[in-house]
Amino acid sequence: MTGGALELVCPAGTPASLRAAVDAGADAIYLGFRDETNARNFPGLNFSRDELADGIKYAGSKGVKVLVAINTYPRAGNPGPWRAAVDDAARLGAWAVILADIGLLDYARQNHPDLRRHLSVQASAANAQAIKFYCDEFGVKRVVLPRVLTVDEIARINDAVEVETEVFAFGGMCVMAEGRCLLSSYATGESPNMNGVCSPAEHIHYEERDGQLVSRLGDFTINKFREGEPAGYPTLCKGRFRACSRDSYLFEEPVSLDVSNILPDLMKAGVTALKIEGRQRGKAYVAQVVSAFRRAVDAAARGEQPDTADLASITEGGQQSTGAYEKGWR
Amino acid sequence: MSQPGQRAPALSPVLLLGFALRPAPKPALQAAASLAMAALLRGHRSVFERLEGLANRDFLIDPVDLPFRFHLSAALPSPRLRILGEDEEPAAPVAATIKGSLPALIDLLEGRVDGDALFFSRALAVEGDMGAVVALRNAVDGADIALTEDLLRPLGPFGGPARGLLRAGGMLYRRAERDLETLRAALVAPVQRRCDSQEAKLRDLDETVANMPTRRRERQS
Ligand code: SF4
Repeated sequence: MTGGALELVCPAGTPASLRAAVDAGADAIYLGFRDETNARNFPGLNFSRDELADGIKYAGSKGVKVLVAINTYPRAGNPGPWRAAVDDAARLGAWAVILADIGLLDYARQNHPDLRRHLSVQASAANAQAIKFYCDEFGVKRVVLPRVLTVDEIARINDAVEVETEVFAFGGMCVMAEGRCLLSSYATGESPNMNGVCSPAEHIHYEERDGQLVSRLGDFTINKFREGEPAGYPTLCKGRFRACSRDSYLFEEPVSLDVSNILPDLMKAGVTALKIEGRQRGKAYVAQVVSAFRRAVDAAARGEQPDTADLASITEGGQQSTGAYEKGWR
Repeated sequence: MSQPGQRAPALSPVLLLGFALRPAPKPALQAAASLAMAALLRGHRSVFERLEGLANRDFLIDPVDLPFRFHLSAALPSPRLRILGEDEEPAAPVAATIKGSLPALIDLLEGRVDGDALFFSRALAVEGDMGAVVALRNAVDGADIALTEDLLRPLGPFGGPARGLLRAGGMLYRRAERDLETLRAALVAPVQRRCDSQEAKLRDLDETVANMPTRRRERQS
């Protein structure tokens, strides 16, 4: 694949966020139904069928495409809700569905051959052979790559496959291959793949102790923040733990992924689309990130070096990282 | 909740307004809160519908710069907003408590700021069931709430002059905010200077210790 202008795929957890993302310059919006069929099944979030119909109409009026994520794995013996979600996305005019389960991919290919199929990051297809399998067997048109590849590795994959690739551009940092991390399951019994959420809010507690903000996940203390120190969400891999009598971030600091300064490299690597993470974040966040990335992507397309310094205020822990793309921590 | 209430709230026009409201009769404040709630239910029923999956839909909202708190019961068909005095406890157990300055809470309600960013920067504090808090945040954020407009809509043609009055009030508020910031800076300036000089001395000491030959440092410790 050859490099070109990057498509900006933006999150919407609510109709208000969808409108904010469209107005801020998104090329495409991804969202999910308000049930267990999508990997952000949070209370108060996501779309009813009517809201999706309205959202597709609003986005369409501005030339923006809507992608429906149906990316959890159907429960054994009960594929009904997942198949209904695919049927409804097709009926309401979604541009594409984002799927992970091979049974559901097959169902979509058989029943809605004209509906574009994207492979969710939840499928963890991280090498050319795996990607080719999904393309050959299920006619997948785009693959969302896990956040564990370097830019060089992405370029090599793009050289070897014909399919479009989409990479994570901004938001939460997941440092493991998607769906293969057991930290959240261990601490809370709920996992990203089956329950659509890592370190779920229901298991989180914050309390003030000796002038420090203490964050806990289930029975585990994940971090302590001094007065004035920016706080972070108690995701297990971003906890501060004691090892060899020293407190430190063992896996990863509470940072946000931000690829804005390597956009030209990603274009050269043949990437088609950038995914902004954050269906669970508010519309103010969505508007700010999408408009900053719109400017950055347009600058990169003009051959200029993009600048998104203004994103610092909404990053976790006030810090940004290019994660695995530049292999800083691996 | 983490306890930002233990910290002094910032000097702001809302804080002064809070002092002014202290003698206000509770029934009058309650009437205003009930009006606001009725407007919210009329214009944004979806907020309450989005919360229907939650077992407990009661929240304590604590604007740290006001001398009272709000007990929100968000269950349909008749959600309510009750005013509580500073020492008064909610009549029913709440799922969570949310604390912050009134302007921050209004910004959040109207979707002008990102709740996570406010929380990460410690301008907002939350205690209790985080799942319920996230649900409330998502539900509120999903509605395009514009508090002033929602409250004025029932006034119909009379809303125009009221809007003008509120705009003037807003300008006065922003000027008062600037003036109070100048006053605050003037009041803390001497203490700030002392802190700066102590910090500079500490830095010098750190440097001196760092530049000491290792042997001498070991002998001295
Ligand atoms: S704990 Fe960290 S690495 Fe594991 S799934 Fe969650 S975010 Fe990803």
